[in-house]
Amino acid sequence: MAVEAHALTKDYKYGFHDIDISVFRTEKGLSPEVVAAISAHKEEPEWMLKFRLKALNHFYKRPMPAWGADLSGIDFDNIYYYVKPVEEQSRSWDDVPQSIRDTFDKLGIPEAERKFLAGVSAQYDSEVVYHSIREDLDKLGVIFGDCDTGLREHPEIFRKYFGTIIPANDNKFAALNSAVWSGGSFVYVPAGVHVDVPLQAYFRINSDNMGQFERTLIIAEEGSFVHYIEGCTAPTYSSDSLHSAVVEIIAHKNAHVRYTTIQNWSDNVYNLVTKRAVAYEGATVEWIDGNLGSKVTMKYPAIYLMGERAHGEVLSAAFAGDGQHQDAGAKCIHVAPNTTSQIISRSISKGTGRTSYRGHIKVYPKASGVKVNVRCDALLLDEEAQSDTYPYMDIENADVEIGHEATVSKVGEEQIFYLMSRGLSESDATTLIVNGFFEPFVKELPMEYAVELNRLLAVQMEGAVG
Amino acid sequence: MTVDLPVPGLVGHGALEARLEHAPAWLQQRRELAWRRYTELPLPSSSRDEDWRRTDISALRIEDFVADPGETTHGEALIDAMRAMRDAAAPGAAFVASTRLGNRACEDTDQLTAQGIIVGSLDAAARNHPELVQRGLDTIPPDSAFLALWNALWWGGTFVYVPPSVDARIPVFAAHTAAGDNAAIFPATIVVLDSNSSLTLIDAYASPATDAPLLSNAVSALVIGQGARLDYCTVQRWGAGAWHMATHRATLAKDARLRFFGATLGARLQKAYWEVIADGAGSEALLSGVCFGDGTQHLDHQSLQLHRAPRTHTDLLLKVAVRDRARSVYSGLIEVEREAQQTDAYVQNRNLILSDGAIADSVPRLEIRANDVRCGHGATAGHIDSAQRFYLMSRGVPAEVADRIIVSGFMQDALDRCPHDGVRAFAAQLLDEEIAGRSQAGITAPEVDAA
Repeated sequence: MAVEAHALTKDYKYGFHDIDISVFRTEKGLSPEVVAAISAHKEEPEWMLKFRLKALNHFYKRPMPAWGADLSGIDFDNIYYYVKPVEEQSRSWDDVPQSIRDTFDKLGIPEAERKFLAGVSAQYDSEVVYHSIREDLDKLGVIFGDCDTGLREHPEIFRKYFGTIIPANDNKFAALNSAVWSGGSFVYVPAGVHVDVPLQAYFRINSDNMGQFERTLIIAEEGSFVHYIEGCTAPTYSSDSLHSAVVEIIAHKNAHVRYTTIQNWSDNVYNLVTKRAVAYEGATVEWIDGNLGSKVTMKYPAIYLMGERAHGEVLSAAFAGDGQHQDAGAKCIHVAPNTTSQIISRSISKGTGRTSYRGHIKVYPKASGVKVNVRCDALLLDEEAQSDTYPYMDIENADVEIGHEATVSKVGEEQIFYLMSRGLSESDATTLIVNGFFEPFVKELPMEYAVELNRLLAVQMEGAVG
Repeated sequence: MTVDLPVPGLVGHGALEARLEHAPAWLQQRRELAWRRYTELPLPSSSRDEDWRRTDISALRIEDFVADPGETTHGEALIDAMRAMRDAAAPGAAFVASTRLGNRACEDTDQLTAQGIIVGSLDAAARNHPELVQRGLDTIPPDSAFLALWNALWWGGTFVYVPPSVDARIPVFAAHTAAGDNAAIFPATIVVLDSNSSLTLIDAYASPATDAPLLSNAVSALVIGQGARLDYCTVQRWGAGAWHMATHRATLAKDARLRFFGATLGARLQKAYWEVIADGAGSEALLSGVCFGDGTQHLDHQSLQLHRAPRTHTDLLLKVAVRDRARSVYSGLIEVEREAQQTDAYVQNRNLILSDGAIADSVPRLEIRANDVRCGHGATAGHIDSAQRFYLMSRGVPAEVADRIIVSGFMQDALDRCPHDGVRAFAAQLLDEEIAGRSQAGITAPEVDAA
């Protein structure tokens, strides 16, 4: 195994927190005044303030979702909606305040940047504190920065796309994000530009009772390619935090966007995220979505296949340990003919953990020649573990090929026996089988991430007996 | 067979009162309680209830249907047509038939009664064998609007009890029929199999092939005792104006076995629950179904495979073909409780979409609370494979015939799992007629007139 024994620890590795050095924060709770204060502090144009206030109204009007995970523990009045950690964003690592720098050093961000990334953005609570992009990409017209800067410096592109894929009234948590959003990434790749190394954003919640509401907008013009990776961690506080992001992707004709997430929030974070992409003619969108952390995750990355021959892929891996509920899945909406999609989901429940796959395939009447394949597999490691599968399909065209298969099982006794007969301990054998189960996901990650993921899995598996 | 005629009336309190007059005290109580539940429970709504999200019944006005009409236009002819169906599907089977007036026939039961088997109308059984009937009714609590309404208003119906270690020599054919014209009927079948007994029962629903509005709110409660074996078939051929709300619920004790086959061909709109509850360790249920929808039919099947005991095994295969503007909805749940270790459960729904306007939705779900299990599902939707059609045409088969061969072939493995040879052949024949464009929603005039 790639994991060395001494690296294993039962604790959540990123559970430390720094003392509060924030320079501005809104009062606890949510009100039109808080929303206006955020907007005023950011010196936003009038239309954005209106957008936020309208979204806040939608948020008030919408009931909490009655399906999915248990969200009764969220206290909207006990959350800081905006916490600004520094005065100015830095382009040089040395300008970032020492304590924040230490945090990201511990998380290995600058090292990763040096090694293999084309650009890095680091968000700490509500604001992006650092970002950089390789000079050659800058010259080609690639834009990579935070969304606030996008609004300020590229208003025409920003306004053309912002909120068009996920409208503010899409769902309760998208409405909340639209009202109080801050930070996130703004990525623009001009036509024909191939960003051959990944762009990365790193999200860190530091404050107690903090809500992080980043907003990401990715526009890939005709024939371009970009791979965006996000990672996230938070300290382990006794009270709960809320992370509710909105991610919008536009893949124009023949563009290719890959979006990779390694979600490793601490187990006191409610992670309620809306992610949606549109793929025009011949475009490809891939969501590579790994959920390891958080208390509760509800996240169903979607791809709307709007143009002929567009292709969508979702590769989802979820691990739920004690007390965790990973309610994850995927949606592929086939609007145009001859579009194809594939969803592969692998989930593991351990201890009292619960994983749910929730998916939606829709084929509109005019979308002939559609091909869809959905495959969900779940492993249950312990007697208390739970697994659910809810794959919805609406097919309104006769000329389609749709397949869906799902299985739920425990780790095969023969497999364990075979490995143990080769000299492995039972827990090593189980860990090896779990790693193999996630193989389709892990092999799509850059090497450094694959190693990190295997290490995280080994930590999660510590003490497990098949 | 004596028939007690309740007074005519719409679905309402009058219909309940008419039934109370003829019920023993314990049943009166049950019916009154169920009616109260019915008045409290909202009708399912596609905007509020997940189970009904794809099946919209907002156009259904239950109180416009007649629950107890005094006169019926097709009385004897309909019973004869059902008898003809028995002769086609299961010749030699005992015949128990009910219409909206109540039980109308109970024939060829001598062989069964000689074995100590109780077979007849549910009304009669409620008077003569209350404990046995209660065992069946207890598995259908009035916890939804339609189940509450059925509990309050069921009428006529079929009851079969097989004593311990008795293997019924002949099958029972339970016919449920009604002429249209705004009739509301509440078909009822209750089967109680004592330990190590066995039985084959066929539930058939049919009405004349007209567009006349009809409401069928049906329940079949199948209680399968320890080590007992039930082969159950159901054929649904309501006319094109019928609303069919049905619950087929089997409860399996230790080492019990069920083989279930359903053929769905008729009705304007159907919502049918096919439910197996594996209550006893080592019990097993194999289910299969065929469904063909055309015109503007809306055919909804919802299955439940509930595993509550260890070493239980269930397997369901549903094959659906839809043509014209028909819509099929399939949803199903495999639920495995914590105690049900070593469960083996599988469900498959395969859909063949034959026209551009036809729709097939499929939602097979899993909820697993035990870890030592093997559970899975598969769902597919596709159209006729042009390579297969091309191959047949290259052998000189006309395109239309080629399509019929392919659709029959698609249905074959679900038909093969039908536990009764006669029903299998009969269902295959009905399917062939459907595929050839002759709808089998309802029994045609010659079948009725010939009687």
